Amino acid sequence: MRNNRIRCKKCILDSATPGIILNPATGLCQYCEQEPVVVPKSEELHQILNGSRGKKEFDAIFALSGGKDSCYTLHHLKNLYPDLRILAVQFDNGFISNIAVNNAKRFCRMTESTYLSLTTDPVILSTAFRRAAESTNGYPLISRIRASDICNTCIGIVKQKLLGLALIHQAPLVVFAFSPGQTTNPYIRLNLSSIQWFRNLFQKELQAIGVTNCDELLIGKDLLTQVAPKFELIMAHPLLIWDYDKKRIEQECIDLGWRYPDLGDRNSTNCLLNAYAIDNHIKKYGIHPYAFDLAALVRGGHLSREEAISSVDADLSPTLIRYARDKLQITLK
Amino acid sequence: MDKIQEDLIEYLHSRAFLPNGGTLRPNESLTSAGVIDSIGLIQLIDYLEEKYNLEVPLEFITPDNFDTLEGIERTIRQLSA
Repeated sequence: MRNNRIRCKKCILDSATPGIILNPATGLCQYCEQEPVVVPKSEELHQILNGSRGKKEFDAIFALSGGKDSCYTLHHLKNLYPDLRILAVQFDNGFISNIAVNNAKRFCRMTESTYLSLTTDPVILSTAFRRAAESTNGYPLISRIRASDICNTCIGIVKQKLLGLALIHQAPLVVFAFSPGQTTNPYIRLNLSSIQWFRNLFQKELQAIGVTNCDELLIGKDLLTQVAPKFELIMAHPLLIWDYDKKRIEQECIDLGWRYPDLGDRNSTNCLLNAYAIDNHIKKYGIHPYAFDLAALVRGGHLSREEAISSVDADLSPTLIRYARDKLQITLK
Repeated sequence: MDKIQEDLIEYLHSRAFLPNGGTLRPNESLTSAGVIDSIGLIQLIDYLEEKYNLEVPLEFITPDNFDTLEGIERTIRQLSA
């Protein structure tokens, strides 16, 4: 299904992806024909990171997967803002590699950040991933272009859990190491009302993929009533204001003692579910769930088009796919 | 359809929120129709702030104001007044 499509001449988005239109005259997709996305607010984010201090134990809740982007971001953040008190949270989705756990702990020690391994009911979690794999068109189109159904489920849960921790600790910052391909906003301001709205949206999305028992995967309703009504926080994405270079980031991580987990997956250095998530998404929709992210990196000059094509064309490990499928108890149809 | 709503439809097409040829009723929920997610909402608000040269206060980010074309149009007019 993916062989007959035409790719944008500049990035790698292709004509078979719903919503993507290639101009026959230029061979460019609508993203490449638009003005480049300017990432403003750099100075503002610097001021926020420099000035945000919590009234309690932590200033920032940090999403630490153990992959290279998050390890690098944690290290660089503490170099730039040594006084920032960070609770680094590694969400255990049941599929993180031992090497990713060791990498996360190592970088926490190095940066004097508090490490927290967080998980949730394993049956509810694996049911959610299984439902995501078995669902079709449950998430909005744009979500399905941006990421796989399984990744949308996982990252949605991670966001809920981290926002919940921010409410518990009244921490004014929640930091994610999203790349410039994964988001366009260096930071997002949230108040209780918007957190509540986003909670409800994710709940509806989970229900749309067939997860009915989802309270465990969402911010506790009680938390939203326990904090002061005027509480606000900022979700920060500092990789958007730093010079993003995948190869340099990986090399710096390795120099700092980060171990490369040879998972046989070109697109993830921490998650054993990712290869199956990609395979499942391609089979359901004919969309490679990393194409949108990589295309934006190409457009932004962070990655060559050839490297991006090579990533999406890379074979997926049959062993990893089988491992995740078996663990989720998904039978082949 | 109002010009602001037409601009919104054009934006939603240009950013692949709506599939080719897709459209929306003025009072149709963007989130319930599967057009937009939470990331998309933030991007939409950024777009509106830049296009209409306004700042959306945090307390304005509610379903009433941003979940339908007519709600967004009303909000933009209110913030521009």
